Amino acid sequence: METILSVDKLSKRFGKIRAVNQLSFEVVKGQVFGILGPNGSGKTTTLSMLLDLIPPDEGTFSWFGQPPSKDSRKRIGSVIESPNFFPYLDAVTNLKIVADIKDKPYNDLDEVLQLAGLYERRFSKFRTFSFGMRQRLALASALLGKPEVMILDEPTNGLDPQGIAQIRDLISLVASRGTTILLASHLLDEVQKICSYVVVLRKGIMLFSGNVREVLAVSDSIEMASSDMTALAAAIAGFPGFLASTGVNGILQVHFDRPVDTAEINSFLHLKGIVLSHLSEKKRSLEQHFLELLQDTP
Amino acid sequence: MIKLLRIEFKKIRTYKVFWILFGLYFVFLAAGILLAEFMINHMVNNVNQRMPIPFPHIAIYYFPDVWQNVAFFASIRYVLIFPAIIMIILITNEFTFKTIRQNIINGMSKTEFLVSKLLMILLMAVIIGVILTAGSFFIGLFHSGFTDVNFFSKGLPFMGGFFISLVCYMVYAFFCGFMLRNTGMAIALFTLYSLIIEPVIYFLFRAPFMFKNTIYTYLPVNAVIRLTEYPAIPMLKKMMGLELQDNVSIVTCLIPLGYAAIMIGIVFWVMKRKDL
Repeated sequence: METILSVDKLSKRFGKIRAVNQLSFEVVKGQVFGILGPNGSGKTTTLSMLLDLIPPDEGTFSWFGQPPSKDSRKRIGSVIESPNFFPYLDAVTNLKIVADIKDKPYNDLDEVLQLAGLYERRFSKFRTFSFGMRQRLALASALLGKPEVMILDEPTNGLDPQGIAQIRDLISLVASRGTTILLASHLLDEVQKICSYVVVLRKGIMLFSGNVREVLAVSDSIEMASSDMTALAAAIAGFPGFLASTGVNGILQVHFDRPVDTAEINSFLHLKGIVLSHLSEKKRSLEQHFLELLQDTP
Repeated sequence: MIKLLRIEFKKIRTYKVFWILFGLYFVFLAAGILLAEFMINHMVNNVNQRMPIPFPHIAIYYFPDVWQNVAFFASIRYVLIFPAIIMIILITNEFTFKTIRQNIINGMSKTEFLVSKLLMILLMAVIIGVILTAGSFFIGLFHSGFTDVNFFSKGLPFMGGFFISLVCYMVYAFFCGFMLRNTGMAIALFTLYSLIIEPVIYFLFRAPFMFKNTIYTYLPVNAVIRLTEYPAIPMLKKMMGLELQDNVSIVTCLIPLGYAAIMIGIVFWVMKRKDL
């Protein structure tokens, strides 16, 4: 697989604070790569270094197998933090400036404006745009000239649910075309919905990296109780997909490596001659899981 | 280069503030130049009422004097400040709207960004220079007709001097805007320095009559303005025995050019190292 981005021991300090600390990862072509972390974990600093806005203190990175240059940046479409446009220029002029810088023709201008749902407002000045429209224009400008990679930093930040859905649909559409996407977010749910691969950052240090399903796998548990707890524990161990069980206060908490149906368990145990006095699903919220993930490591 | 200018032009084409300030500069300049003769002669009339031998009336629109006179008026502090403020706004806007970040993200190099702004300075100076040269030519033609075959060559040094003044002064403004990054603060400080602080220094360190060089001579804004100094009005010159400028000397050009070069160097150095 072709490596698009390779980051090696990237570090940046702001005074005493280590914003990014020895960060290394690789992004391969076609991947939807997530950088997940709470606010202040170094996501934006990392992206700013990758886009030559901030010189790194240590470490290197390469785009498309080459040292970073303005030409590599021309192949990347980015939305970093806020949408940055001239308020007194209309959408079309703002996009033309972007196209000029990227050495791209104007022929997909209408297309990206339509994708972002701004075609009707294309001759309105940027300052008349609502927050959601501004964010969509930023996305439109990132889409100009069909970039090979898109970098999105908190693309749904501050948007209403409808705006969030619009942006996510757009990202999915772009990803389905084979564009490599690098997405930074503090929303676990967002990363889980969109990304295939993820690194989790906290205070500039990489905590985890890997497949989204593996890193963020949520093992729901099922609680059960019976008059004979020892027999119950022995019997449930034979259930397909059984991982582990722990008994607390007369209730057995059982983990599985796959989603299981409570009815399935009930009939399984019934056949084994065990009558349950209690059976319930216990779901942890994703956010809860994410918080645990961050707290687990010192 | 053409590409960079095309991008810069897109940024200002529909920007009202730019065009209003640019227009105001010419309005003030034209008013200054056209009212000057009237004002001078008004003063002459006043003086003449108390003088036994009257001063002759002064004409400033004749070839070849018109060149130096227009260049002088165009580089008066209060007029020259307009293109400087335009430049401050153009550079600080990029910080205010974070478009400098976006330009770099989109694939402009930091050098290209700075070069595009410097090209804007040159382009504005060329446009103002051409308009002013054409204006002086027509004013001169209207008042004196073709009296001297060499009238054009005599004008060039002054127009050239004015062009250097304009470029250097706009570079100062660019430097100030780039370092402060804040429009209001940059305009306030630049105006304060140009219009108040330097004249105060002049007042404090003024040299005895006839001695021209003091610390003041080497201050950046004064060095710019001095390029096209008090107009040589030949008759006045003879009568007063004053040593007035009748050409633009290369040495006086070097002072503001030196300042501008240092400032451009600092800007490039800072741009390379600072976070955007």
